[in-house]
Amino acid sequence: MTRLGMVIDLSRCVGCGACAFACKAENNTRTRGSGQSYNWGDFLIRTEGRFPNVTHQVMPVMCNHCSDAPCVKECKAKPSPHKAMYKTPEGITMHDPALCIGCQRCQEVCPYSSEQLGMPSLDGSSYSVISFNYDDEPTQPEWADKKAAIPGCTASGAETAAKAGAPVPAMSQWTAGDLQPIRKDGVVEKCTFCYHRTLNGLQPACVEVCPSQARIFGDQDDPKSRISQVLASQKSFRLLEEKGTKPNVHYIGKYSPRA
Amino acid sequence: GCAMLPRAPLHSALVPYKAKPSSPAQGEWVASTCQGCTQWCAIEIFAQNGRAVRVRGNQASKSNHGYVCPRGHMIPQQMYDPDRIKGPMKRTNPVKGRGIDPKFVPITWDEALDTVADKMIELRKAGETHKLVYLRGRYSSTSTELLYGTLPKVFGTPNYFSHSAICAEAEKMGPGLTQGFFGYRDYDLEKTNCLVAWGCDPLASNRMVPNAIHRVHEIAKRGTVIAVDPRLSNIGTKAHEWLPVNPGTDGALAGAMAHVLLTEGLWNRDFVGDFKDGRNQFVAGKAVDEAAFVEKETHGLVKWWNLELKDRTPAWAEKETLVPAAQIVRVARTMGKAAPKTVVWMGPGVAMNPRGTYAAMAVHALNGLLGSIDVEGGVWQSPTGPKLGSFPKADAYVDEQAKKAAANKKLDGRGAKDMPAMMGARPGSGVVTNNVANGMLKDPGAVKVMIASWANFNFSCTGADRWDKAMAKVPFFVHMVPNPSEMTQFADIVLPSTFNSAEGWSIITNMANGYAYAAIQQPTVKRLWDVKQEETEVMWLLAEKLKAKGFPNLFDYYSKEFKDPETGKAPATAMEFSAIATKMSSAPIWAAKEALPGDAPIKGWAEFRKKGMFSGARYPLKKNWGGKFATATKKFEFYSETLKKGLLEHAKKYETTPDDILAVSGYLARGELAFVPHYEAPKRHGSVQDYPFAFVDYKSRLNREGRSANLPWYQEFKKVDPGDVSWNDVVKMNPADGEKLGLKSGDTVRITSPAGAIVTQLRLWEGVRPGTVAKCYGQGHWAYGRVAAKDYAKAIPNGANNNELLVDDYDRLSGSTARNGGFTGVRVQKV
Repeated sequence: MTRLGMVIDLSRCVGCGACAFACKAENNTRTRGSGQSYNWGDFLIRTEGRFPNVTHQVMPVMCNHCSDAPCVKECKAKPSPHKAMYKTPEGITMHDPALCIGCQRCQEVCPYSSEQLGMPSLDGSSYSVISFNYDDEPTQPEWADKKAAIPGCTASGAETAAKAGAPVPAMSQWTAGDLQPIRKDGVVEKCTFCYHRTLNGLQPACVEVCPSQARIFGDQDDPKSRISQVLASQKSFRLLEEKGTKPNVHYIGKYSPRA
Repeated sequence: GCAMLPRAPLHSALVPYKAKPSSPAQGEWVASTCQGCTQWCAIEIFAQNGRAVRVRGNQASKSNHGYVCPRGHMIPQQMYDPDRIKGPMKRTNPVKGRGIDPKFVPITWDEALDTVADKMIELRKAGETHKLVYLRGRYSSTSTELLYGTLPKVFGTPNYFSHSAICAEAEKMGPGLTQGFFGYRDYDLEKTNCLVAWGCDPLASNRMVPNAIHRVHEIAKRGTVIAVDPRLSNIGTKAHEWLPVNPGTDGALAGAMAHVLLTEGLWNRDFVGDFKDGRNQFVAGKAVDEAAFVEKETHGLVKWWNLELKDRTPAWAEKETLVPAAQIVRVARTMGKAAPKTVVWMGPGVAMNPRGTYAAMAVHALNGLLGSIDVEGGVWQSPTGPKLGSFPKADAYVDEQAKKAAANKKLDGRGAKDMPAMMGARPGSGVVTNNVANGMLKDPGAVKVMIASWANFNFSCTGADRWDKAMAKVPFFVHMVPNPSEMTQFADIVLPSTFNSAEGWSIITNMANGYAYAAIQQPTVKRLWDVKQEETEVMWLLAEKLKAKGFPNLFDYYSKEFKDPETGKAPATAMEFSAIATKMSSAPIWAAKEALPGDAPIKGWAEFRKKGMFSGARYPLKKNWGGKFATATKKFEFYSETLKKGLLEHAKKYETTPDDILAVSGYLARGELAFVPHYEAPKRHGSVQDYPFAFVDYKSRLNREGRSANLPWYQEFKKVDPGDVSWNDVVKMNPADGEKLGLKSGDTVRITSPAGAIVTQLRLWEGVRPGTVAKCYGQGHWAYGRVAAKDYAKAIPNGANNNELLVDDYDRLSGSTARNGGFTGVRVQKV
């Protein structure tokens, strides 16, 4: 069997944000709105201690592609042939918007998601790896906006998109049968381990761009893979392991040498 | 219960199904250069159907290892910013001021450039060409040569000013006055065992960010990372030791560290030398006989000890710096033991303050003591990269009128008695960017036509309101800029610029990780708007207009002297001029007759465009050892004969003494102390009683040279700046201070300094020193676009601009603008 997973080395990570930007660029995720971040990759940030004995730690977070995924188990979409949220033979927790009924049950049951994000998500205290596109709302509002700052002189989102020749001017136009490069309204969306890349021999966008090479992606069931060797030789942990979801995103190392 | 019953067993949900076939985006990686910070990384932009999609480091780069920092990833967003100016515009409201709608209307390039040329011809006719001022906000080989270097010279004005002195120039005085290198250093991080990031955050700014991110974890693993910064920076979060120095007292901390290194015998003997009898005579409080010590690569160690260091004990320093003496000793020992593979990476936090030259010298001099200069794992000068092609000389096109006008006094006051501005140790040679506004306010008739490109001094200069006042009085202002910035609001004509990383032509040079390189900027994707590159396309078209109106010199120079290095063809259009200039600049790389040191030879222009960069040979170790430093003594000077020579020259010009010059320029040292690195108590605007907090200004890791606040991703991920909150612009205060003042996180507060007041949200955060408040620079735009400004039409800012708070002051020895070192006191009150 194949069991794709990721290791994030916190001792290498400097919390720069490049992974999250690359994710947004690759997957054309929209800007925050309606209590949804649309950040398939995000950060959990924590400052601890009293001055001057302070530590500040950043932990990149994303869909954990759990082996025992509550989002899959609890998906309310009628299986035809599979549910909207389903597992692939490679271990990816995959989403098919064509089958999604937009019930947001996955957000509710996922330990790493919530249906609504409040203020704490803005300072890194909370996050949601699953986001929802509300019914009858534009899913790329920035590029639907027809207003201009200086009418007649500056552009607008809609004009920029039209001139560029894509619904999102910088759109990464990959092709896919399940999850499309841009989502429609009334469905959830989340990380797919960049399945359109990884099932075609490329690394996920977040892995490819990391300037400290803090991320290792690969098959945990292949004893020769780097990921399985790292996991075998180093102490690792997973987020909310006690929930029993068997996440496939692992963390090694300490972010702060003072922690 | 029932949840289990009618449905299939739960596990069946987890039976895998194959995803339908997919394929990654098809397109090509096109080489270009990021100018989101001053590292100027060689990059590649993924272009799909003529659109910019994604960005990565140039895969051949030895300086960024094929990676960009988060800034690079924002290039497509900046390219497709919906608030970009689509075509030229003109002002229809003659009244100018902050918050006054210019009532811009679109015009053609023809009309725009006709108007500009008419105004310039008026100056020629009136013999007032020196009343043309040009302000520059970005660099490249082409912009430096073809606009900054040519337009003022051929037209005839001494008044052209670069933005450089508002950023970090003062730090160059540290290496400059000690080792004769007035530049940004390189660091051998691959081999460094102890990294001291001092007054800078290499994981976020201060150049070479991708290299620092690539290397810091290795250093932390094999050695020690130390951060000196009053606020918890990114490097502070990754450091073994954080020294939250009292702002402005870096010179005291450096002095105490030097004191420890000397008294404990931890200086590097290979570089510095030793006592004749081998016995360490550096004892606290005791002067040493100069004759007892024999120096090797250095000059004046004992003088430095006797004049400054002998009394700089850690206990003394603790009182000034508020860093515990025990920590000072511990850190100094760590640095000494790892020497010479110890890097003291000094940045603007040390130097960009009113007495910053001496702090910069004090901190950089530690590298001399540690012997890390030019050695493996140490601090290097710039490596040598490929030489760029020079452009033909314009001298023959400079007429008598222009020559005469160029002799007029510059508006920035450089070289005045109280503004030595001695970059390169040459008095009057450094630009004093921020003083231009003062010059304009003093003499409102001095400027009749102003042209600026990419500059936004109404936002980016301290004492920002002075620029609002000064710009409101400029009779005719032309702004070349991609977005309607603050400065644009004062423009009469707006000429929309290309966004050069994706749309422009140029050659950019820089260095990091032991290699200097040249990298191309080329049109990677389709231009959406009627925009033109300022130094080539706009200059060509403007020169054409000037010629039609009776001043042919500029056009004759551009059109007769420039030739395509491949075909010998002269440019016939603005676009051809742009491409030919870039080819001429890079030709020594791709048309080299013999292989150049460094990368594999590049054969021809097409291959250069494809590869996009060329790196020179690796930096040679001990390059300046053996008496080859560019100082007065050819040695590394702990006693700066170089500074002495410069100061004496400046004093002579005013028939006075260096002591008098230092007094009028606001420095405390007198006599011999002026020539050694030493501690000067920080200058502070605003009494501690009225303004109890020292204001700490710093840079965001997402600031694309202050031009990214209009991008949603900047706002969304602002939290990656430690202590910051996304979609917000918080000022950070220590919770202990918050408790005293009855303030809590989320409160809206007014911050008041002697220069002004700003209103923003407060966040109590443990990462700031009590008695200071810290706030990131980059937001508080009242223009620029609809994300950066809360209400663009009403000029209501989103957040608050630190520069409205910071007092207009200078490190006068370098001419740099003060923005660090807690030199501005503030009070914080709930609104």
